[in-house]
Amino acid sequence: MLFCVWQVHAQVSDFKKIKFDKADRIAAEHKHEKLNNLPVLVYTLTNELDTDVEKFRAIFTWVCSNISNDYQLYAKNMRKRRKLINDSIALKAWNEKFKKIVFKKLRKRKKTLCTGYAYLIKKMANLAEIECEIVHGFAKTSTIDPEKLTIPNHSWNAVKLNGKWYLCDPTWASGIPNPESYQFQFHYNEGFFLADPQIFAINHFPLKEKWFLLTNNTSQSFQSFIEAPILYNDAYRYFSSHSKPAKMYQSVQQNDSLTLAFDTYVSFQKKDVHFIIENSFTSKRRMPSFISLENQKLCVAYKFTTSGYYDVHLYVKDDLISTYTVEVKKD
Amino acid sequence: MKTQVKISNKAIFMFFMLIGLVGFTPLQAQNDNSSAEATQGKTIKGIVTDGTNPLQDVNVTLKGFKVGTVTNEKGEFTFPRPLRVGEVLQFSYLGFATKEAKIKADTNFIRMEMSEEVIEVMGSLNTNKRYKSKKRKQ
Repeated sequence: MLFCVWQVHAQVSDFKKIKFDKADRIAAEHKHEKLNNLPVLVYTLTNELDTDVEKFRAIFTWVCSNISNDYQLYAKNMRKRRKLINDSIALKAWNEKFKKIVFKKLRKRKKTLCTGYAYLIKKMANLAEIECEIVHGFAKTSTIDPEKLTIPNHSWNAVKLNGKWYLCDPTWASGIPNPESYQFQFHYNEGFFLADPQIFAINHFPLKEKWFLLTNNTSQSFQSFIEAPILYNDAYRYFSSHSKPAKMYQSVQQNDSLTLAFDTYVSFQKKDVHFIIENSFTSKRRMPSFISLENQKLCVAYKFTTSGYYDVHLYVKDDLISTYTVEVKKD
Repeated sequence: MKTQVKISNKAIFMFFMLIGLVGFTPLQAQNDNSSAEATQGKTIKGIVTDGTNPLQDVNVTLKGFKVGTVTNEKGEFTFPRPLRVGEVLQFSYLGFATKEAKIKADTNFIRMEMSEEVIEVMGSLNTNKRYKSKKRKQ
């Protein structure tokens, strides 16, 4: 029997009466502006907008459409931070030196890495009189080995709008580097704008627990974060939470099903949902053996008829959503 | 009767004029010193440093407005329009904490010291690459 449990914590929907078209249009009209006069840039982006959420949206969209992620900076910093992990004095000295390089590159070439994005968002929001903080912590992607996740590797933002804190990730909203050339490609993903804390917690683990912003008061363990399914950027375009399963590794008996549950905040159809089931030899597209999509809740399952080890990838249309590793045991 | 009315109106007018002169002249005199600056503002100059060295290219902006300037290689600036008492200048430079200075009656020259942001820089690689298990025991 399939049993799905959901919770609703939609965030951007707090502002569903507000259209962001105007904010996005203003951000687009000022594409290619430089960062040499931040107060004037912020004024230009926000002075025609009435609400803080629209002002913040214009800032967020502008930053994510104009600042590119610099792979060289990332690689240089990670090498050094790993090397100096047990030498706090040398690490501090490196950070002092490195942050000068980072800010110079941001000012002159509009290139940065996670902290630079989060810093710029905070700085611009503050200039618009909007309370905003940088959140440091751990982030998990498909290429990060969870066992090597020993030092914080990511920064994002919390922003206070109408007295309530919200989360956003400008780095991941801006685009991705080409996997081969590492050249950055802009690909704005508005799913990271005021993302729901439920989905956010699956691949973001803040150093300070208060920045989970979860309302259910359950303590989040680092171990459960490490064990969580892999969630891809496009998941944020469709879903506000992924409640089931909680772990990436799953073990099922032959002829049993793997069942997934999500809360959605955009419309799509049942036929848009499919799996890619991979083992060492094959990669096959498969339709769900069960699917339910109503009241913004998706429950989808796949029944395994053959024993073995599988990577199970969920797709909506052509967008990769999540991955699970499944061991199917013989009856 | 008409003449009487005219006279009394004139008297009332004269009475208020007198009150006005007696009552408001001292206040007017008090404001005279700063009235020109209060209405037209004054030219503000200044220098921005990081504590030891001058900071070039710092944005000096009138808070809430588009008007502003940047510091030269010596960290100096002259604000492009006269400023009135109570107006606020904002000093902004990426990598440094934003500072503000309120124009007071005796402000003519601003020495602004800006400090670097206390921030630890980190970054992770964003990717959409599909996960592939390293080992499969099949």
